[in-house]
Amino acid sequence: MDRNSTIERVLRAVLLTLIVIFFLFPIVWILLMSFQTNEQILRIPPSLSFVPTLENYKALISGHLLTSAGSLDIAFMRNLGNSVLLSTCAVVLALILGVPAAYAFARFKFWLSEDIAFTLLSFRFAPPLLVLLPLSLYFQELGLDDTYTGLIWVYQLIALPLILWIVRGYFEDISPDIENAYRIAGHSWLRTFFKIAVPLAGPGIAAAGLLSFIFCWNNFVFALVLASADKQPVTVGALAFVTASGIQYGQVAAAIVLSVTPTLLLALYAQRWLVEGLSLGAVKG
Amino acid sequence: MAQIDMAQIEIRNLHKSFKDDAVLKGLSLSVDKGEIVTLFGPSGTGKTVLLRLLAGIHPQDAGTIFLRGRDATGSPPDKRGIGMAFQNFALFPHMTARDNIASALTARKTDAGEIARKVERVAQLLKIGHVLGHSPRELSNGQKQRTALARALVADPDILLLDDPLRNVDAKLRYEMRLELPALLKRVGSTVVYVTQDFKEAMALGDRVAVLLDGRIAQCDTPARIYAEPVNVGVARLFGDPTLNLIEVAPQLVDGAPEIRLGGAAIRLPASYAAAAGSPCLLGLRPEGLRLVDGPAPGAIAVDLVAVTPLNEKSVLLLTMQGGEELLASEAGDRDEPRRPGPAHVAIDPDTLLLFERESGRRFIPAENGKGGS
Amino acid sequence: MTSQPIDEPVRVVDRRPVEWLPYLLSLPALLVCIGILIPFVTALYYSALRFRLNLPALKGFIWFGNYTNLLYDSEFWNTVSISLRYTAITVGVELVFGLVIALLLQRQTRLNNLISVLLLLPLMTAPAIASLMWKLMTNPNFGILSYLVSLAGVSDFRWASSPSTALFTVVLVDVWVYTPFMMVLLLAGLRSLPPQPFEAAALDGVPRLFVFFRITLPMLSPYIITASLFRLLDAIQQFDIIYAMTQGGPGNTLLVFQVRAYLEFYQYTNVGKSAALLVVLWMITYVLSHFFIKNWLRLRERSHASA
Repeated sequence: MDRNSTIERVLRAVLLTLIVIFFLFPIVWILLMSFQTNEQILRIPPSLSFVPTLENYKALISGHLLTSAGSLDIAFMRNLGNSVLLSTCAVVLALILGVPAAYAFARFKFWLSEDIAFTLLSFRFAPPLLVLLPLSLYFQELGLDDTYTGLIWVYQLIALPLILWIVRGYFEDISPDIENAYRIAGHSWLRTFFKIAVPLAGPGIAAAGLLSFIFCWNNFVFALVLASADKQPVTVGALAFVTASGIQYGQVAAAIVLSVTPTLLLALYAQRWLVEGLSLGAVKG
Repeated sequence: MAQIDMAQIEIRNLHKSFKDDAVLKGLSLSVDKGEIVTLFGPSGTGKTVLLRLLAGIHPQDAGTIFLRGRDATGSPPDKRGIGMAFQNFALFPHMTARDNIASALTARKTDAGEIARKVERVAQLLKIGHVLGHSPRELSNGQKQRTALARALVADPDILLLDDPLRNVDAKLRYEMRLELPALLKRVGSTVVYVTQDFKEAMALGDRVAVLLDGRIAQCDTPARIYAEPVNVGVARLFGDPTLNLIEVAPQLVDGAPEIRLGGAAIRLPASYAAAAGSPCLLGLRPEGLRLVDGPAPGAIAVDLVAVTPLNEKSVLLLTMQGGEELLASEAGDRDEPRRPGPAHVAIDPDTLLLFERESGRRFIPAENGKGGS
Repeated sequence: MTSQPIDEPVRVVDRRPVEWLPYLLSLPALLVCIGILIPFVTALYYSALRFRLNLPALKGFIWFGNYTNLLYDSEFWNTVSISLRYTAITVGVELVFGLVIALLLQRQTRLNNLISVLLLLPLMTAPAIASLMWKLMTNPNFGILSYLVSLAGVSDFRWASSPSTALFTVVLVDVWVYTPFMMVLLLAGLRSLPPQPFEAAALDGVPRLFVFFRITLPMLSPYIITASLFRLLDAIQQFDIIYAMTQGGPGNTLLVFQVRAYLEFYQYTNVGKSAALLVVLWMITYVLSHFFIKNWLRLRERSHASA
């Protein structure tokens, strides 16, 4: 605690510095790589001083790649767009479905309520492929295979349990008498839900939404199994990008940067709620 | 359904249990229009539950509630036209005090000007006009309580339910409000059910006091009658500070008149208690009905004055009788000479005497015109 | 006195006309539940079949045939071994590492808070992409790590391409991504501990190591257990990192459960075997999640009680 000798302080500072370097170095390095040309990347020894270039980003955004073998069309921006579309729609849908359900679980103890809540929780820990592989066969029969709709529904498996368990806690923390008072004042159940319960649980709903977005965005295996090339989000798309031939490494780095920037920014914005979200509402940061 | 000529609130045989715990066991009560009934009883006995059933927050297990002559079963809280103030205020934390109060009007599609007027009026009445713009977080407990009251009153409800509104308020404010509230409630003219755990509050505020014991209304009477004519030991014990003395006695007929032996002395009971002779009884003695007398006298008991506790308006005396039993007596606190411990004699005022059947606890009602009964 | 708090707000089933309301509200959740259970039951069914997508005519019941085949399959035991090793190493390293970091950042200073936020960034990257980042860094031609390692005198360190170092590489990525998770939970736990026992120990002059092992650790144990179980459950079914790095190679060195199941399904189209593998994995996680949920609920009670 407060028994800091100089040796301890120095040791602590050194350790922390090494730790910070370890965790931030890859992100920083890839970021630097994304501003380098192939020649600069391949130079040995690698050097920190170089003239940055925006070529890699321009190539990705425009969709045209100039390689040694000629021009190549890259649809990475499409992957980025898919990620945005899928994650946003999945989270919006999960909020619409999950917030009223969270309210029901918080306020009413009804038949099957705990069973449903815990089944959704336990799925979070079951191997996803167990459900995804048979689902992919069903989807083929139902015509949902390789559709945005199918994917958005499947993404509910990620977002709904999170929203349910975090928002449920926030609803439980509201004293029922506050809602009772509003009802006695003459307002219907629906108005009470929208004017009292939802606003008071606002922070929790926002937290759950942001975190669900991050987890949906970062998901890999769902899209790998159920989407084909033109609907894949960045997680799958980046992998395909890397293994394609003739790709310039700077562009790969740029693709990675574009893939992770949205979630990193959101995480910084939502940092207050990260502990709670990561523990599914068990630990309040 | 034709409107029966009923009381404003009529409760018939109400039952309510929570998870195998029966709270209300066949409770019945009627409250007339414009009446203030205080609902009193020890904590945990279901007073708040009863209010919630009246408000429609929970459904009852059995029994009926009639509001304004109509069966209210199935009617949700927003349709009952009631005003309610909660013990813990239950103000909406994300709204200003003004909006909190106005919420009782916004449901009825009143126009904004009318709403503002009514809010101002009730705020002036409760002296919170200057804090209307604050959020509940910024209000003191007293202000929160008044805001909650204002919210309950602003729509001029004809039925008002108040759940121990003075409980969470500091002593000084509680005292002030206890003086102001009756006048305020009478002016508003609603029918009021007021829950409290303080018997003094119950007696001060209520036209009638309803005592909730063991899931039922044991007695609903004017404060004076509750105090002087409690229906059983349970009710008698709840009123009075210090609580009344209870002593086991067995009245006997001596020369045709009922008599008990107490502390070695033979005390003659009023003749109207003759029918109690021969049965085991409990004698209830109100502390203020015990007077220290100067010396031995017929009907006076020899006691030992053990301790004197001076409170402001009265002194409480701890006495022991010959058999070791203790009695508490109280007298006015403005004596010239403080009393000193030692032997003394105490006389019983027959008008404040209460006799109960030992087994059932019911009060033995003294006969009029020589007829006994219980 | 009755034992229950009668005078407190109580939640009760509303038996009036609006009694269908909770069911209506949670209908979507119920549908999603059903949407999970149907494929799940189907997977169980498939695991009892001889079923290959490219030979549909041979589809037929073999009950526990797939499972017994697995028991005799050395590949299966390789999968078990590699999965267990991966799990044990990653969770062990992350727990110790995360605890060390949490202890270093315990004091609520602006610098510490800033660092703890920065350290969360790896956790927020998609694990598959994290694998790609490390793949770039370990590229033999231009990877910075390959260069640094060669400076240290080790030539030709093949990272994920060599069977002897592939596990090390993916463990490294896992540690990079998930240690912050441990750190975050343990830090929240450390900061929620009441100061009194520590003040008392300081007054009594108790040596710090003793305080750590006999006071801090036991009080922190709910967080440690919950966080470890959380990670155990994730590590044993890890897919993203390994698939993105090597697709299970080189050879069969990294064929953990889900990777193997995926390859059985898509490469060998052996649905029955794939399903059996996944059911085995599911059984393991089911048992683990029981312990987890109990601990998790306990933590939840605690944080809601103090809210």
